[in-house]
Amino acid sequence: MIRVNGLTKVYGSGDAAVHALRGVDLEIPEGDFVAIMGPSGSGKSTFLSILGCLERPSSGDYYLDGRDVNSLEDDELADLRNKKLGFVFQSFNLLPRHNVLRNVEMPLIYAGVPSDERRKRAQELLEQVGLGHRLTHKPAELSGGEQQRVAIARALANNPLVIFADEPTGNLDTKSSLEIMEIFQQMHRAGRTIVLVTHEPDIAAYARRVIHFRDGKIVREETK
Amino acid sequence: MMNFADLVQIVWENLRAHRLRAVLTTIGIAIGIAGVIAVVAVGQGGQAVIISEIEKMGSSLYFDISPDYMRGETADSNTFSIEDPTIIKELSPAVDKMAAITLGPMVDVRLPSSDKKTIMASLYGTNPDLIHIMNLSLEKGRFITDLDVTSHSRVVVIDAGLAEDLFPKEDPLGKKIFVQDTPLTVVGVLEKAPSSMMDMFNVRSLYSPITQAQDMLNTKVINQLCGTAVSEEALPQAISDSIKILESRHSSVSNHYVGTTLEEQLEMVGKVTSILTTVIGAVAGIALLVGGVGVMNIMLVAVTERTREIGLLKALGARRRDIMQQFLGEAVALCLLGGLIGMVVGIGGAFAIALAAHWPPLISVWTVLLAIGFSVIIGIFFGLYPASRAASLSPAEALRHL
Ligand SMILES: Nc1ncnc2c1ncn2[C@@H]1O[C@H](COP(=O)(O)OP(=O)(O)OP(=O)(O)O)[C@@H](O)[C@H]1O
Ligand SMILES: [Mg+2]
Repeated sequence: MIRVNGLTKVYGSGDAAVHALRGVDLEIPEGDFVAIMGPSGSGKSTFLSILGCLERPSSGDYYLDGRDVNSLEDDELADLRNKKLGFVFQSFNLLPRHNVLRNVEMPLIYAGVPSDERRKRAQELLEQVGLGHRLTHKPAELSGGEQQRVAIARALANNPLVIFADEPTGNLDTKSSLEIMEIFQQMHRAGRTIVLVTHEPDIAAYARRVIHFRDGKIVREETK
Repeated sequence: MMNFADLVQIVWENLRAHRLRAVLTTIGIAIGIAGVIAVVAVGQGGQAVIISEIEKMGSSLYFDISPDYMRGETADSNTFSIEDPTIIKELSPAVDKMAAITLGPMVDVRLPSSDKKTIMASLYGTNPDLIHIMNLSLEKGRFITDLDVTSHSRVVVIDAGLAEDLFPKEDPLGKKIFVQDTPLTVVGVLEKAPSSMMDMFNVRSLYSPITQAQDMLNTKVINQLCGTAVSEEALPQAISDSIKILESRHSSVSNHYVGTTLEEQLEMVGKVTSILTTVIGAVAGIALLVGGVGVMNIMLVAVTERTREIGLLKALGARRRDIMQQFLGEAVALCLLGGLIGMVVGIGGAFAIALAAHWPPLISVWTVLLAIGFSVIIGIFFGLYPASRAASLSPAEALRHL
């Protein structure tokens, strides 16, 4: 479902040029659970954000769900992110001025889902992550683990094909990390494709495949 | 695609987080909109005064003589005398009618039977010519006569409004009314003046022989003389004759007199009005500009503060247009808030100016629509740049922002 060939990313130019990715080839079939590991600065986040259509590669091909991503317009990419992709970040990235319900509704608003249907869907998702009773709270009133669960509910709002998670447990204690990974595990079992970046082997152990990055390249891969 | 209701809700949730900031940002806009409303009201009010004066007097022959206010002179008991009008008429062939006026403060008027219900009215002490000079007409009874003046008759002529207030069912003629506790007999009722915009003020007037009015008010001061010339061509002559005669008759004190025609008075009103509108308009324009720039500034700050958030919204599927809408919406909402505050202040100010300048406060639906329309336009104008900056951020870069 995801296929990249010879993917490179260069930031800046001339002497200041940074080669974040130096030719990455990878295929991820539907329903796969992939963990990406590697030293800091090896290009993991860059790779994830290209897969997530948040930025474009400098060169190389990217096919997602049969579509040539490089050929899509900005608005088409936005639509793709909205309906097919979900994101979970290390720092949760919830909207601080809106309550939990609104945070989860946001992708549904951009998708043009009518308000009562939207509300129902957001409520369901929040119940699934165990936060059905915190709908009107602001993100700052929640613990880190709870915030990340809201972020997961939000990522699932439009029932996306793939979830991209960049160090989702990086800011959490062990207990919350385990809770979050339980949710990822469930999503995987339900057949959703997951691509997750992590530094921790314990977390990577949940994945079916572990891919190791170094200097902008894949250097090793393990499959369970 | 976001619908309007969602947009309004999201904008509101965002602005609510910074209430004080929002209100402070809107002050400039508020002042500007208040100014715009005041300009419109002052302009319309001034025009209404001119129109109603013309309607009322309808005479291009009118003139009046006052102490020279420009030199700081005011009328005292030596400025004019009761005999002046008669003498001026005799000596100057250019002068047709002439009356002296002792203008009292607002006086209490009541019926002998009730001592509770009093009506405020302005009292004119004058002589017979005034009815012609002011273009008044009688509905019934008679006006003041020369005999009334010489014999200090305790008689009064009331206007139609006062007649209705005091004698809704009866014939006022021959009835007694108390003016400042002096009993006066009603001898005449004026016709309702052709409806003018000044009617909104509901100012009641009554007219008494000048001698009697001076007794009641316990004064010897005559505030001004007014008259008509025999023809329009004779108007300047009538004024200069009157002044010359007055100066020779009151030479014991150094008095300076000025004569004003109706046209000049109206010009004055027009001039004051246009100065007021220019000044307020300029202040309003500057305030709107400064206010608009303030809104733009705060929106640019918001875009910077929320760069990461914008990246997130894009990750969630917001298109350029969605981000644009959201930030433009906030700028417009800020300006609308300012516009509403300004509207309240402006309408209050227009009333205050109207009260001070004695003209009707004119606030129309158009004024309100103008204020709202103006605010929205300013919001869009000054919000466009920050909003497009927010919309054009690349999602990955915005998300990396700390
Ligand atoms: N916008 C940018 N401009 C310039 N260089 C960048 C930019 N983004 C990333 N880089 C560089 O690209 C390289 C890869 O960065 P990336 O964030 O992908 O690393 P990472 O593997 O996610 O590291 P970490 O584990 O610390 O998160 C780094 O050397 C980084 O400095
Ligand atoms: Mg990273």
